[in-house]
Amino acid sequence: MSGRARGAGIAGLLPWSLCFVVFGVIPLLAALVLSFYDMNPLRPDLTRWIGGANYARALGSPAFWHALRTTAIFVVGTLPVTLALAYGVAALLGRLRRGETFFRAAIFFPATLSMVVISLVFKSLYAEQGLLNGWLGRIGVPAVHWLQDPRLALPSIMVMDIWASVGYYAILILAGRKTLPVEQLEAARLEGMGALEIERRIVLPHVRPVLLFVVLLNTVRSFQIFIEVFVLTRGGPLDSTLTLVYHLYERAFYHFEMGYACAIAYILLLLVGLILLAQRRLIARRALGAA
Amino acid sequence: MGSRGNPVLAVAALALALALAGCAGRSPEKRTVVFWQFSPLTAIQPVLDRFHREHPDVIVQVEQLTWQSGREKIVAAIAAGRPPDLAEIGSTFLPGLVADSTLIDLTDSIPDLKSALRGWSVAEYRGRAYAIPWMLGTRALYVNTDLMKRAGLPAERPPATWAELSSAVARIDALGGGVRGFGMNSGEREVLFKKFMPFAWGNGGDILDSTLTRSVVASPQNIEALRFYLSLKPHSLLDRQEMLDEAFTRGRVGFTISGPWMLRKLPASAPDLHFEVALMPKPAAGRGTPASFAGAEALGIFRGSREKALALQLARFLVREENAMPLYVATGNAFPAAVAAAQDTYFVSRPGDRVFVEQLKTAVAPPVHPRWVDIEEILNGELEEAIYGRKSAEAALRSADAQIGALLGKQP
Repeated sequence: MSGRARGAGIAGLLPWSLCFVVFGVIPLLAALVLSFYDMNPLRPDLTRWIGGANYARALGSPAFWHALRTTAIFVVGTLPVTLALAYGVAALLGRLRRGETFFRAAIFFPATLSMVVISLVFKSLYAEQGLLNGWLGRIGVPAVHWLQDPRLALPSIMVMDIWASVGYYAILILAGRKTLPVEQLEAARLEGMGALEIERRIVLPHVRPVLLFVVLLNTVRSFQIFIEVFVLTRGGPLDSTLTLVYHLYERAFYHFEMGYACAIAYILLLLVGLILLAQRRLIARRALGAA
Repeated sequence: MGSRGNPVLAVAALALALALAGCAGRSPEKRTVVFWQFSPLTAIQPVLDRFHREHPDVIVQVEQLTWQSGREKIVAAIAAGRPPDLAEIGSTFLPGLVADSTLIDLTDSIPDLKSALRGWSVAEYRGRAYAIPWMLGTRALYVNTDLMKRAGLPAERPPATWAELSSAVARIDALGGGVRGFGMNSGEREVLFKKFMPFAWGNGGDILDSTLTRSVVASPQNIEALRFYLSLKPHSLLDRQEMLDEAFTRGRVGFTISGPWMLRKLPASAPDLHFEVALMPKPAAGRGTPASFAGAEALGIFRGSREKALALQLARFLVREENAMPLYVATGNAFPAAVAAAQDTYFVSRPGDRVFVEQLKTAVAPPVHPRWVDIEEILNGELEEAIYGRKSAEAALRSADAQIGALLGKQP
C-alpha cells in the first residue's frame, strides 16, 4: 500500500475513531474513575474519593442482587429461545422456493423498528383492556394481567424481546447458511443423508461461527435490557422487572449517586465480559470436538 | 484540481463569511438568557415574543425538554457546569435540587410575588424560596355519567363522600360487560402516593409532621384512608395512568382520578362519552376535605447560571397572569400560579376547568425535604405491597413509617 493510500485510509477512519474515543473510550475510563468516588452530579464540587466503597455497597445490597437475578432470568429465558427460533426461521426461509424475499422482509421487519416504538405497541397490546385480552375474551378466557401481575410482567417483556430479536438473528443465520456450497448439500443427499442429518452434520457446523456471533451479541444486548423496562414497567410491579441497567439508571438519575451507578455498570461490564469469554471458549471447544 | 483553486482557502473564506454574518446579525449589547422548559415551542414562543418586545435587548434562547429525558438533561448540564440560566422544574424534582443547594435562594428578591402567586409550598424549604411557582397541577375525579345512569345513580350528583364513591363504584362494577367501577393505578410505582395521599390528606393525615423531622405515615387517619382506598380494589381496573385514561375514554370505567389534560382529549377522542369532573370525595359529609395532589412547575435559577438577573427578569415576566394564562389555554395541563388567574373569564364558560381551579384550593403538595426521593420511594414501595395484597394497610404504613423514621434519623 502506498503512503498516499495509507494516508487516505487513516483519514477515512479518523472521524469514526475520533467518535469512538470521545463517546466510547473517554466515558468508559471516566466511569471507571467515577466508580471510586462519591459523586453527586448536582454537587460536583463535593466529589470525594471513597476507594472501593461503591463496589462493596453494591455487593452488599439486596436491591443489586435482586436486579442481577432478574437480569439473569431475562438472559437465560430469552437467549436459548431466541437462538432456537432464529435458527428454525432461518432454516424455513432457506427452504422456501417462492416468496422468500417477502417472508425475509416480514421476518426482518421488527429489527427496523426502534425498541421504544415496539414497547409502546406492546404496552397497548398488554393493557388490561387491550387487544390481547380482547382476543382472549372472545374465546371465553378471562383478562390476564400481563404487566400488572408480578409473575407475568417479566415473561411478558421476554416474549416481546424475543419477537423483536428473532428476525434480525434469523437473517444473520440465513446469510451464514447461504454461504454453504450447494454441491456439498447435493453430495450429502446423494449419499443418502436425511434432512435432519444434513442439518446436524453439515449445516450446523458450517454456521457455527455465525451462531457464536449471535449468541455473543444477544448476550450483550440482553444484559443491557433497559428501554423495554423503562417504557413498560419501570421496574415494577413489586420490583419484578427491576433489571441491573434500570437499577443503575435509578441510582444515577433519581438518587444522584453517580459513583455508585458507575460501580454497578462496571460490575455488569465485568460479568458480561466473563460470560462472553466462557461462551467463546465453550463454543470453540465444541467446534474442535466436532472437527 | 489545481484549476479549481485552493480548497483550504475556500473553506477559510467560507468560515470567515459565516463568522461575519453571525456578527452582523447581533448587536454587541444584546444579552442572551438560556431557558429550558417543557411546553411545546408553539405554545411558549408567543409568550417569549411578547417578552422580547418588552425587553428588546434580551434574547431568550428557549429549549423544549421532554418529560422522558428532561430531568437527565438538567442533571447532566449541572454536572457539566453549564446549566441553563432559568429552568422549569417539576415539584418532585425540586426537593433534590434544593437539598443540594443547586438553586439559588430567591427569597429576598421576590417579596412582592409572595401574595401574587399560589403554590409556594412546593418551592420553599425551611421558609426560604428556591423557585417561583409558575403553573400548578392537580387531579380531580372524572365521572362517567352514562354509567352512573345505567347503574341507577343520580348522574347530576357525583359522589362527594367516601361512602357515596364506594357504593357507586360497586354498583357500576356490577353492570358487568367489561365495565369496571374505578380506575386504580398499578404497575407504575412512582405515581401511587399521588393517588392514595389525597384520601389521607382529606382525612387529616400526612407524610411528615410540620417540622419535617418526624414521619406520621402510620397515623390512624392514613391507615383508615388506605383501608378505604384498598376497599375499592375488588371493583377496580388496575393499570397504568395512560391506560386508565384510555379505558375511561372508551366508557369502560365509572370513575378515575386524572388531570385536566383529559378535558381537552375526551371531547375529541370520545364525542359520545358523557362525563363530569368533580372534586375528590371527602371522608364524610361533615368531616375532612376534598383533598387532592398538588404538583407544580416552578422556575428555578441555578447557582451556575451566568445570567441570574436576566433569568429572574424572565421568570417574573412568565409568572404574570396575562403571560401564564395563554400557556394554559394552549396546553391545558396546569393552571397559572398567579392568584388573579382564577378570576379569568376563560373559566366562566368551562365548568370542567373550573372544577380543577376549585380543586387546587384543597390540593396538598408533598413536603419539600432533602430526602424526598427516598421518602417517596419507600412510600410508593409499601403502597404497592398493600395494593398487591402482600401487606395489610396497617402493616404497609407501619413499615413505611419505620423506614422513613430510620431515614430521618440519619439526617445531620
